[in-house]
Amino acid sequence: MYKFAQVISIFIIALSITSCDPEKEATDVVMSPAKMTVAINTKWGADNFEMEEVYYDSYGNRFRLDNFMTYVSMLTLIREDGTEVLLKDFHLQDFKNETTLTFEVTPGVYTGIKFGLGVPDAYNMHMDPAQYPNSHPLSVGGSQGMFWTWNTGYIFSKFEGKADTTGIEGTTLLHNYSFHTGDLGSYVEFISLSENFNLQANTTTGITLNFHVDDIIGSGSEGIDLSQEFFAAGATPLGLKFVDRFVNSITVD
Amino acid sequence: MKVAVFTFCVLAFLSCNQKSDLQDEPLKIRVPIDFPPIEFPEGNEPTKLRVLLGRKLFYDNRLSAEQNMSCGTCHVLSAAFTDGKKTNVGMGDMQLNRNSPTLANMAWSPYFMSEGGVPTLELQGLAPLHNSHEMGKDMMPAIALLNEDEELRKLSKAAYNRDSVDPFVVTRALAAFERTLVSGDSRYDRFQLGMKDQLSEQETAGMSLFFSDKTNCSSCHGGELFTDFGIYNIGLYEQYNDVGLERKTHNQEDIGKFKTPTLRNIDLTGPYMHDGSMNTLHEVIEFYNTGGKAHANKDSRIRPLNLSEEEKAQLNAFLKILTDFNFVQNPQFLPLEEQ
Repeated sequence: MYKFAQVISIFIIALSITSCDPEKEATDVVMSPAKMTVAINTKWGADNFEMEEVYYDSYGNRFRLDNFMTYVSMLTLIREDGTEVLLKDFHLQDFKNETTLTFEVTPGVYTGIKFGLGVPDAYNMHMDPAQYPNSHPLSVGGSQGMFWTWNTGYIFSKFEGKADTTGIEGTTLLHNYSFHTGDLGSYVEFISLSENFNLQANTTTGITLNFHVDDIIGSGSEGIDLSQEFFAAGATPLGLKFVDRFVNSITVD
Repeated sequence: MKVAVFTFCVLAFLSCNQKSDLQDEPLKIRVPIDFPPIEFPEGNEPTKLRVLLGRKLFYDNRLSAEQNMSCGTCHVLSAAFTDGKKTNVGMGDMQLNRNSPTLANMAWSPYFMSEGGVPTLELQGLAPLHNSHEMGKDMMPAIALLNEDEELRKLSKAAYNRDSVDPFVVTRALAAFERTLVSGDSRYDRFQLGMKDQLSEQETAGMSLFFSDKTNCSSCHGGELFTDFGIYNIGLYEQYNDVGLERKTHNQEDIGKFKTPTLRNIDLTGPYMHDGSMNTLHEVIEFYNTGGKAHANKDSRIRPLNLSEEEKAQLNAFLKILTDFNFVQNPQFLPLEEQ
């Protein structure tokens, strides 16, 4: 009787193992992820923008962009049915470096992408970079100085360089400009709902987020004349103007 | 001899504990009888090892980029944790634009920096450590250096259960030490406790003036802490190079507003004002007596006081009795090797 029970037990276990295997295999097939890459790029018109190179803005100022960084937060894909898939909570983008983020995503049709520029209020109002592990983008080390020390809060974006306001060709660029965005009202969300990413299993699909520096500076009364408007720290009128131009400079390819 | 015995005990304690795990225990901070209780942040309640670690870090030059400055460089015990300079001197002898504030009684401050922009003592530590004008642009190289120190790593583990000396440990430990810097044992305090022979006639008259409606000093510098922590424009200038609170709020009405400093140990903490623009208490009293300069944001309480020379001398004498000599000579606040 004991031996019989033992045999039955082994048989049941064997059955359960064999019956599990195909199910697991099937699950694996169904769950094979799609790969998605998100490249982040700067543009000047149709061309790529080069950091530390001299450009002319539409006001005739020669300028050079030496440091351009921003927090890209809550990078999210939006499905056809409106549900969302968070790809990455925080990424600190240094535009000096070519950046391509890679994700594994459940296959399907996605119609939108969204992300924030800056750090959402919930993470910013009670900022404490020391509470994050050193590799985290919001940590003391990982943030690369993107927080104020005399005040609470992260610096959402830095856009710094030098410009010439003399109009004399060949002169050294001496005029510093600096835009540090942050504080209440400075976190803005970019949303594009007119995309169509059909992400297929075991296939890599790539998109590029383009930040158009020429559109950030702009032209006319709506633009930023670096000879007149060259310093903003926090949610000042000029800081908020920069934020508005910044988020509207983005295109998705 | 006492120093030698204590040093031996500390060494014995540390060497003994390096063999076994360091054992931490809660530390009771003595608070003067009339002071409000200290509210400790969750997770950084005072313990012996946290305070010991904070004290070590406070005087550790490795925390600066050039390894030649510590917190104790600009906050010197004998000057009630100020430095006697007009304004701070940062890395590379860079002259900064503000006077070093005292660290006495920071445990009760609801916010930090002259604009009040930093909400906790833990975060305040980042201000000098992660600032290119003060101790370094990036504190992470300093963190790497500190991690080479086995004793600090063991203390970090025992005090905060962290495997390394990281920014969390540094900011918490510095704050834990700074909360022990309690000053409330001046002649004024003893007088308040009933020792009426502590004050001279001139000092008593000065005290009456200080708390009177005539001077209104105590409306901002009142209470046991001798500050209301308010942020005001006192009419120091008609045009401010340093905009003060406006830097934080971007509101023109906040130009020239700075946090009220404590007057405890004021005789030791000169030069005075946010920019160290006045060298003596006599100058400060003269300034308030004139009612300050015209500025749209000037607080209405700042007005000519019409004090006589005798009254000015009385006020001056009163301010000097706020010095707590036991505080500025407390060996527990010195670097361990100097104790």
